[in-house]
Amino acid sequence: MSTEQQTFNPLREGLASKAMPDPCTLVIFGATGDLTHRKLVPALYNLAADGVLPPAISVVGFARRDKSDEIFRVELEEAARKFSRQGINDGLWNSFASSIHYHRSPFDNLDGYESLASRLDELDAARGTRGNRLFYLAASPDQFEVILENLRKSGLNEAKPGSWARVIVEKPFGTDLPSARRLNDLVEKAFDEAQTYRIDHYLGKETAQNIMVLRFANALFEAMWNSRYIDHVQITASEPLGVEGRAGYYDKSGALRDMVQNHLLQLLCLTAMEPPAGLDADSVRDEKVKVLRSLRPLVGKDVFKHVVRAQYGEGAINGKPVAAYRNELNVNPGSVTETYVALEVNVDNWRWAGVPFFIRVGKRLAKGGTEIAVHFKSVPPVLFRATGESIDDNVLVIRIQPDEGISLRMSAKMPGSSLRIEPVKMDFHYGTSFGKATPEAYERLLLDAMSGDPTLFARRDEVEEAWKFVDAIHTAWNTRSDDLAFHESGTWGPAEADELIKRHGGAWRRL
Amino acid sequence: MEATVTSEMASEPGLPVEIGRIDKELGKLWEASDDTKTRASLINLVVYSEKEASLSSNTEVISAIAGKHACRAILIVANPTAKESGARAWISAHCRLQKLGQRQICSEQITFRLDGASAGALPNIVFSHLDSDLPLCMWWQEDFPEPLDEKLWAWVDRLIYDSSTWMHPKHQFLLMRHLSSSGAKGTVLCDLNWTRLHAWRFGLAGMFDHAEAFPRLNRVESLRVVCAPGQNTAALLLIGWFASRLGWTPLERADAFITPLGGRVSFKIEGKAGPHVSLFSVRCEDAHFELELKEGAGFFETTIHAPGIPESHQLLPAPNPKLEETLLAELSRSGRHPLYTQAIDIVLPLINR
Repeated sequence: MSTEQQTFNPLREGLASKAMPDPCTLVIFGATGDLTHRKLVPALYNLAADGVLPPAISVVGFARRDKSDEIFRVELEEAARKFSRQGINDGLWNSFASSIHYHRSPFDNLDGYESLASRLDELDAARGTRGNRLFYLAASPDQFEVILENLRKSGLNEAKPGSWARVIVEKPFGTDLPSARRLNDLVEKAFDEAQTYRIDHYLGKETAQNIMVLRFANALFEAMWNSRYIDHVQITASEPLGVEGRAGYYDKSGALRDMVQNHLLQLLCLTAMEPPAGLDADSVRDEKVKVLRSLRPLVGKDVFKHVVRAQYGEGAINGKPVAAYRNELNVNPGSVTETYVALEVNVDNWRWAGVPFFIRVGKRLAKGGTEIAVHFKSVPPVLFRATGESIDDNVLVIRIQPDEGISLRMSAKMPGSSLRIEPVKMDFHYGTSFGKATPEAYERLLLDAMSGDPTLFARRDEVEEAWKFVDAIHTAWNTRSDDLAFHESGTWGPAEADELIKRHGGAWRRL
Repeated sequence: MEATVTSEMASEPGLPVEIGRIDKELGKLWEASDDTKTRASLINLVVYSEKEASLSSNTEVISAIAGKHACRAILIVANPTAKESGARAWISAHCRLQKLGQRQICSEQITFRLDGASAGALPNIVFSHLDSDLPLCMWWQEDFPEPLDEKLWAWVDRLIYDSSTWMHPKHQFLLMRHLSSSGAKGTVLCDLNWTRLHAWRFGLAGMFDHAEAFPRLNRVESLRVVCAPGQNTAALLLIGWFASRLGWTPLERADAFITPLGGRVSFKIEGKAGPHVSLFSVRCEDAHFELELKEGAGFFETTIHAPGIPESHQLLPAPNPKLEETLLAELSRSGRHPLYTQAIDIVLPLINR
């Protein structure tokens, strides 16, 4: 459907270490929404201010509300001033803002797409965007179908010779396997897989990208990255926030669908995958899919043995009392939606046989943070037994957010004439060594989509395999609800989750 | 929030120490700093100068970059012509508080003053005080001496210099070309004069992205560059890059190039007070492309007059001209600079015409 060939500009050669973004027009569907204001436009401005966007870029906001280009720009400027990681330079903003346009149309009106096509042609001529189009589905997921359908009917999905057309699809990619397949079929009717960029912003985070470097650029770790040396892995995503303004969505979704199906399974894949044949998108994604296919399915009674779901009750966060989930605004008072889930997952392949991956995610927990903790096996309890000293296991922690970094816990002798062994920590903080602010995940991902690099985006088979795993758990949950546990807000989750990991002889890490 | 602490800067560049006790004294410095400070280091940054006044200005630069690119800095002020030999050393730390309530992140600085014959001990001074296993970046602030000490340069991972300050640029560029092809070919050459031009190159490339602009690169008739007096090497490097990208060959005894299609492209460099480079103009028969940086402006202005392209004036971000920002930009990059060596090949025959 696209002929991704570019007339080569020799002045661009060697200017950057990675592929430069092509001149293009970014069309945002759902341009008046939160995502556009909080993330997309600040990310685009930061890219422009950092000098990594080519000048020939246009941004067209597509939405239902009536407004002019000027009003749209003013609204976006307000948002950029509030949410951009760097301050707004008036001159640069004005120059960047001149590339922003607003196109008003209901999503279900084909005429609106046909007039959009004419407008994009005009912008191509005016700004030199060469007919390259990047469509960003930032609208509510229930609008994806009609948007994709109209993009197809209006021919906007078809790139002109020498140009390209791509689509970025925001999560959620469906709510279960059938709906994900339906959505993927819809996307596929309009765009090839190679033109489709499913965004999971966790993959754009600097530390998530560093997992592969840590594993495959350091002989020290990769040699020990297997069941011979690793006891278990803990993947945690905790937050002290409640559902905030997302109760309507969240009460239908829950923690498993909202976080585990996408973000946490992606982190698990990066941790567990085999070395890819190359760094190209498909080599990396092939290996991630193999991990998903190796997940031991959790079905029927096994779900209640290996998965703990819970909801937060009343409690306190930072000393302030907070309401129970069921008392939150717009939450069904009898809701059985999980705000916390802990799973014991097994990857049934040669490398990981017998090494459980414990995943937990929850709201209203004591502290916010996302990390992967690799717990190594104990040394044989022989040499230091007589001293009576207990020796902590080595733990390698990859902190995804906040305070991105890597730490390694090991044992050391305390200074003194007696033999006392204490755990010590070697700590690498990105912020300490690299003082400059790291780019936001959306900056990297937008740049990659403009450059045609889908490595950090989820492929169709990845999404569907992840849903297959998660759906089986939901199927079991739908048979009963008496397993739903409760925990006090501001704690580290329910006792049942502690029991889950204790059966393996471990304990959850305190972040 | 930031705070820089440099001990005893007013009178001396730190705490005076015996050269043989530098490691021990640094250790004491950290022991005495309790738990509120963390030492960090990504590279060894050796700065060599023979100018007395460089000590305070270089210390300021190190202080400014330390919070963003942690390093062990080794500052050397040498006076090889001094009658009396002598070597003295000081230690200090540059600390920066990243967030309120968090630890301060500190980079170490070791300062040496080498007089007379002691200046010849430079390789020993450098090698014996490196933070082990970290890359060695050497910032050489003088013209390079001959013969080149290839044993020293072979140990350097990134050799930083600023060709805009060279007294004899042609000779120095030849030395650099020799260095990159000799025993020190693993060393990456990092010319800050070239680093400053990165945004220029990016801006110029962007002007020719337009489908109507791109074909005109084959029909360029003349280039005009305006630079500050004494900044001809910057202008030449930019012209050299442009020419090398398009496969142009310099003509002998004329400020012009021959294109692969046999066309002739003249170029002109004009001096004018202001930024090191303030204008790059490209003219074709029917079109005119201009990238301009005005004094004090934080951005470039682009102007395109060409049939088929709507008149446009755009602003693009321009780099902060401060020396520490240029150095940071260079340190943040990795890999070699192949376009630089290609540009030098074009520039060499054009210097001193």
